[in-house]
Amino acid sequence: MPYVLLFILSALTLAAQEDGAAFFEKNVRPILATQCLGCHSATSQPIMGGLRLDSREMALKGGGRGPAIVPGKPAESLFLQAIRHEAGPLKMPPGPKMKDANVAILAQWIQMGAPWGSAVVSQAPQQKYWAFVPPKETAPPAVQNKSWVRSPIDAFILAGLEAKGLQPAKPADKRTLIRRASYDLTGLPPTPAEVNAFLADSSPNAFATVVDRLLASPRYGERWGRHWLDVARYADSNGLDENLVYRNAYRYRDYVIAAFNKDKPFDQFLTEQLAGDLLPEKDLATSIERWTATGFLTLGAKMLAEDDPVKMEMDIVDEQLDTTVRAFMGLTIGCARCHDHKFDPIPQADYYSMAGIFKSSKTMENFKVVAKWHEYVLAPKEDRDKLAAHEARVEAKRKEIGKITKAQNETLIQAATARVGAYLLAAAEVKRSEEMRLAPVESAPGAVTLDAGSFDVGNVPRALQKKKSNVPKDAKGPFYAEYKFEVPAAGDYQIDILEEEKGAGTTDVHVNGTWMKRGADPVQNRAASPEAGGWTVVAVVPLQKGVNTLRLEHASRFPYFEKLLISKNTVANYPRTVVQIAAKHGVNPGFLEQMVEHLKRSDGAVASPLYAWEVYGTGGALAEWKSPAAKLFEGFQPADAQALADKYGDLFVASLEKGKENTDPGLKALYELLKEKFGPFRAPGDARRYYSQAVRDSLRSLDQELKDLEAATPDYPHAMGVTEGEKIDDLAIHLRGSHWTLGQKAPRRFLKVIAGDNQPAIPEGHSGRLELAQWLATKDHPLTSRVIANRMWRWHFGKGIVPSVDNFGRLGEKPTNQPLLDWLAVEFVNQGWSMKQMHRTMMLSNTYQMSSAYDAKASETDPDNVLLWRMNRRRLEAESIRDGIMEVSGGLDVKTTGGSILKYKDRQYVANTAKGGDVDYEKNIRAVYIPVVRSSMYDVFNAFDLPDPAVSNGDRDATVVAPQALFMMNGAVMLRHSRQMAERLLARTDLDDAGRVKEAYERALSRPATSKDIDQALTFIAQMQTAWKGSRESAWQSFCKSLLASNEFIYIN
Amino acid sequence: MNRHWNSYLNQTLSRRDLLRVSSAGFGGVALAGLLGAEQARAATANAGPLAVKAPHFPAKAKRVIFLFMHGGPSQVDTFDYKPLLKRDHGKPLPFERPKVVSSETFNLLQSPWAFKQYGQSGAWVSDLFPETAKMVDDLCFIKSMHGSNSRHGGALLELHTGSDTFVRPSMGSWVTYGLGSENSNMPGFITICPTQSHGGANNFGSAFLPAPYAGTAIGSVGIPARDAKIPFISNKETPREIQRKEIDYSQELNRKQLEMTGPDRALEGRIESFELAFRMQAEAPELQDLTAETEATRKLYGLDNPITEDFGRQCLMARRFSEKGVRFVQVSHTYKWDQHERLKRDHEQNAREVDKPIAGLLRDLKSRGLLEDTLVLWGGEFGRTPTAQGSDGRDHNPEAFTMWMAGGGVKPGLSYGATDDYGYYSMIDKVHFHDLHATILHLMGMDHLKLTYRYAGRDFRLTDVHGHVVKGIMA
Repeated sequence: MPYVLLFILSALTLAAQEDGAAFFEKNVRPILATQCLGCHSATSQPIMGGLRLDSREMALKGGGRGPAIVPGKPAESLFLQAIRHEAGPLKMPPGPKMKDANVAILAQWIQMGAPWGSAVVSQAPQQKYWAFVPPKETAPPAVQNKSWVRSPIDAFILAGLEAKGLQPAKPADKRTLIRRASYDLTGLPPTPAEVNAFLADSSPNAFATVVDRLLASPRYGERWGRHWLDVARYADSNGLDENLVYRNAYRYRDYVIAAFNKDKPFDQFLTEQLAGDLLPEKDLATSIERWTATGFLTLGAKMLAEDDPVKMEMDIVDEQLDTTVRAFMGLTIGCARCHDHKFDPIPQADYYSMAGIFKSSKTMENFKVVAKWHEYVLAPKEDRDKLAAHEARVEAKRKEIGKITKAQNETLIQAATARVGAYLLAAAEVKRSEEMRLAPVESAPGAVTLDAGSFDVGNVPRALQKKKSNVPKDAKGPFYAEYKFEVPAAGDYQIDILEEEKGAGTTDVHVNGTWMKRGADPVQNRAASPEAGGWTVVAVVPLQKGVNTLRLEHASRFPYFEKLLISKNTVANYPRTVVQIAAKHGVNPGFLEQMVEHLKRSDGAVASPLYAWEVYGTGGALAEWKSPAAKLFEGFQPADAQALADKYGDLFVASLEKGKENTDPGLKALYELLKEKFGPFRAPGDARRYYSQAVRDSLRSLDQELKDLEAATPDYPHAMGVTEGEKIDDLAIHLRGSHWTLGQKAPRRFLKVIAGDNQPAIPEGHSGRLELAQWLATKDHPLTSRVIANRMWRWHFGKGIVPSVDNFGRLGEKPTNQPLLDWLAVEFVNQGWSMKQMHRTMMLSNTYQMSSAYDAKASETDPDNVLLWRMNRRRLEAESIRDGIMEVSGGLDVKTTGGSILKYKDRQYVANTAKGGDVDYEKNIRAVYIPVVRSSMYDVFNAFDLPDPAVSNGDRDATVVAPQALFMMNGAVMLRHSRQMAERLLARTDLDDAGRVKEAYERALSRPATSKDIDQALTFIAQMQTAWKGSRESAWQSFCKSLLASNEFIYIN
Repeated sequence: MNRHWNSYLNQTLSRRDLLRVSSAGFGGVALAGLLGAEQARAATANAGPLAVKAPHFPAKAKRVIFLFMHGGPSQVDTFDYKPLLKRDHGKPLPFERPKVVSSETFNLLQSPWAFKQYGQSGAWVSDLFPETAKMVDDLCFIKSMHGSNSRHGGALLELHTGSDTFVRPSMGSWVTYGLGSENSNMPGFITICPTQSHGGANNFGSAFLPAPYAGTAIGSVGIPARDAKIPFISNKETPREIQRKEIDYSQELNRKQLEMTGPDRALEGRIESFELAFRMQAEAPELQDLTAETEATRKLYGLDNPITEDFGRQCLMARRFSEKGVRFVQVSHTYKWDQHERLKRDHEQNAREVDKPIAGLLRDLKSRGLLEDTLVLWGGEFGRTPTAQGSDGRDHNPEAFTMWMAGGGVKPGLSYGATDDYGYYSMIDKVHFHDLHATILHLMGMDHLKLTYRYAGRDFRLTDVHGHVVKGIMA
């Protein structure tokens, strides 16, 4: 570069700098300070994209994407590109585009060389977001109405109420309280006996006794386990694209229920679900429990048929990470897959740091279409080793067979490619034969008619069935039927077949031991509709005088047909089958059929190397020929088809000599045709039949050995779960979330905003799952204890202290009572992460025991009951509605627990279970044991807001919509169990009708019927008995139905 | 409506409560502070989530009928005429295939069907669709559709929800969330005989949108359209007048309880939901009862022919639902169009099943004056390759396919966008699913950037961070 120019440039820059500082201070600094430095300064938490704009040096250096500002070159400055929305998805600042005037100033400033003013633009340090500061032990606040404070919880609540001049509601009456507590802890109503016992217990500990009894009941785990299953997005099938059955998912569900029942400390519960397999080994039972726990990570909905395996894997990792972070930390991290989180301090690098942990773990066996997830074998080590050794033997056997097959096929292909000319001639004859159509005969003098079932020897049923497999169960092929019949004279005979519909399948045809026709598989396409049936020509075959044998055979299936007809052939030059033509030309019928198919497809295409052959005799112009092979035929004038075929044959052989190394483009084109993957000289599907008898025999016995080996595979129970990956490594940042554009590697670690910059490295060879679990389970983790304490509060009170229970981030809702939340979180940890202890803490407070009664004044001040001036009235959840109806009718079976009623095999496709009846959804076991089939959920679950089982959700909706009313009016559960309830009431001969009404109220509503209730009910029942034309059962059913449909049954006060 | 509870109803509502209640008559309230502005707009109506809401700007279409061809109809055999495909039949594809394909394909394969030009617009249609061909001057073809997933599951989800990665609300749910339902006795979003595979219910689910916006499935794949019913819509045991008495008794208990509890919106809402259910129970079967239609109409839809009867029934039901104000109706010709082999036979059979009913639906809507503000959408989850699979089949192709629209504010007789010479890639004026979604919302008077729902701390859109309204097809 010329010196002069350089000099001029730097002089200009210097000159500009003099008033540059002033320009910066006046125009640029205000823009930076107000629109950029919140996220891009030394004090930002974190520094988004690693970019700092608080000094010239840092701005020039830039962030993860490289320099932000190129002085003097606005167009090349990423900073300005982002501001102008010209940097692809990178658009800054977030939200509306910056004003044009400001953009112009920044452009001018960069043009000026990006001069700076004073060293650093100061920014007030941001206060750390509450949720990232660990909760501290807080003393309950002072309150006026001290006598109401039974638990510190009450003090926290009361302080809030008093500040607004509100009073807590009166205590709920005992009947309301026990109904509330029973549904709350077990999902079932209390029995009348339980209510009475509570009423009779006047001790101050009466309610504590109830709570202890409920916590000790196995029904408790069934209820609270189900809460966790919402968070764990539990389901019994994959449900996203390919709905494969998770046959073993239920083991995880049963693990969760058991964990709640035995009050497994939450830190341990967490650790087992994320890294149970990595905990020190104890005994087999413990290992099985822990492997099963890791099912948490495997249960997600996956795209199992994704042609891009890298995307599939990253999607699975994403789902695991998102669910884990949401479940235990109450944060959303998914958006950081593509860019820094816009609202929470989660830079993209953090996402990939954590994603690397799951990427280094093994969830899947493979990422094929359709992919296979990993399952644990639940057996002792020696058995697992035995199984692995056995599977290796199976694989070795499979390989042995594969090797022989490959070598044999190679021999067949070599023989065929040496005689392409013969194949061309034979194919031409096949084509002619296809054009000549024979008419079916139907009847002819002297014809022989054979009923399908009249065969002499065979291994298929004589009564062949339509549209069903005619292959006996567990039988081994080939399947055949052999007919013996006589004809008066030798000669050519036509065989016809009578089928009800075509396309049902064909067989091989052998006549007197000679193969005559090749069978094909029946139509596989399920969309296909069958063609009209009737008589069809099979073939014309030579028969001998007297007895002949006709054998129909297929390796794996046998079609349905009605009759065979054998009649004298009267057509001259009759068409022949591929097998007959192949025999005539001495070629292989398999390759021949492929050659025919190839020629049909190519159909005179000018690009085909076989063009000359295809148009021979049709008047097609050779000048049109576009294949490089055309050159090889220049000037060649074949005397006849044979000569042209010979020429082709010779050229193909020549092309084989040099193979891939062919330099002649024509020979190369011919060679490529021979080697084409779907070309005519690929190994035929039925290649085996052309091997020598000895090879076939040895393969048959090898097949048998393989089959026996497979059948002998030991059958152990399995559980879905995650293990350490074969390749443990950090992940590179995926720019814009795409694995096609990778950035720097992000070392595996945890969220920087919580764990800080100096995190210990994850030990060599560890995925980091165990370390992640341990980090989450530390006492002073700012989120783990808060999130679970808040979840429990939500499940007890109907609304979380942080109402957005799954999102504690900036876009979530703020805690309505943070001191209370922090107290609960600390208390929970201090109580050894015990869930049951936390239930007691919450339920034994006066807050929990308040009535849900309305208060006009409080309602005006705090209409949403944010401060909890009363207990929230809650609608029963789906399971409780169903189980409650069954329990009240006396029909619920609580003894059947665990296991799965799903009748599908593991990984089997499941389609429509809602209507088809292959899942007994109405079975009277507890709803938690009813399978959750994604994308085809039980309609009662659907109607009553069971959350979408593909997404973690700790905050179920409680909608009130018409379809729920339709269920109450018409649902089978409702009809059956109201009937049962009526019958049971009527069977109570010790009661009169008033007594029966009372009993119904006690059971359904846990309260006695008032005399007005009774009068009303009896009047109604009497009316209904008339309406039902005297049926007492139906009248009582109407009453029971109405009672169960009432708000009082569906809501807990 | 039960007037006598209205004294309880003049209170502010939380968003949760609001969404809990289906259609109780509480007064309008200022909600903008509590909700995102969009959720507030959706909620300002003085009724539940399905109440009619004003669009962002005047709408061209009030309702949608989506004729879904599951499996992937071949564009080059139906509406995207490619003369070069015939000329170069058997030649290798002269350009690169996509990086990700579902399986290998061979050389170019010409269409087994002849194409002709129809109507004043001169649109090319193959012999597969002789009846639809007569309607081309009412259709607006989008020849440049493309998606990003080459498998049925991913592509179906992308078509229906915009995401092939996550479970997201269906477009029908978004539309219903945005506009509500014009018929308070019927669900706002109905899908007739939907597929259970390839995403199944996720294709019409509401995901994080409240449950009332989920598509109500009437029947399912494999169930003949004549037997398709809304869940729990009836029972054989209880006569209507007896059921009315049972409900009356239950409602009396409810009102008595309400006197004890004091005002409670959920309890009130539930009382109303029974009345709505009772009305729905009366109206839905009536709407599904096609015997009320004239013989001529039934014929128009091909109900007189066993081949066209099932799909014809679905189309006729769709018209009846639309006419009665159901916002979004989907009709599915389920998983039939996947011709990896036997293209000729099966595409022909498929087209025979749907061609007449589709033309019938268009004619019927037109003659009733409904086509003006009804948007009809036709298409599958992807197209097919111009290259061959076997000798008579085509593979999946998300890179290019044709959809068409009719009615509701689109330019009739237009052919928009174009593919390459063989129909493998969408080339000119490309329209992605996201753009299709943005356009449908636009036609219905909604700005896809503004129709948001706040969930897990983020304002979600049907179009996520994508989508451009295809202005070129607007009438």
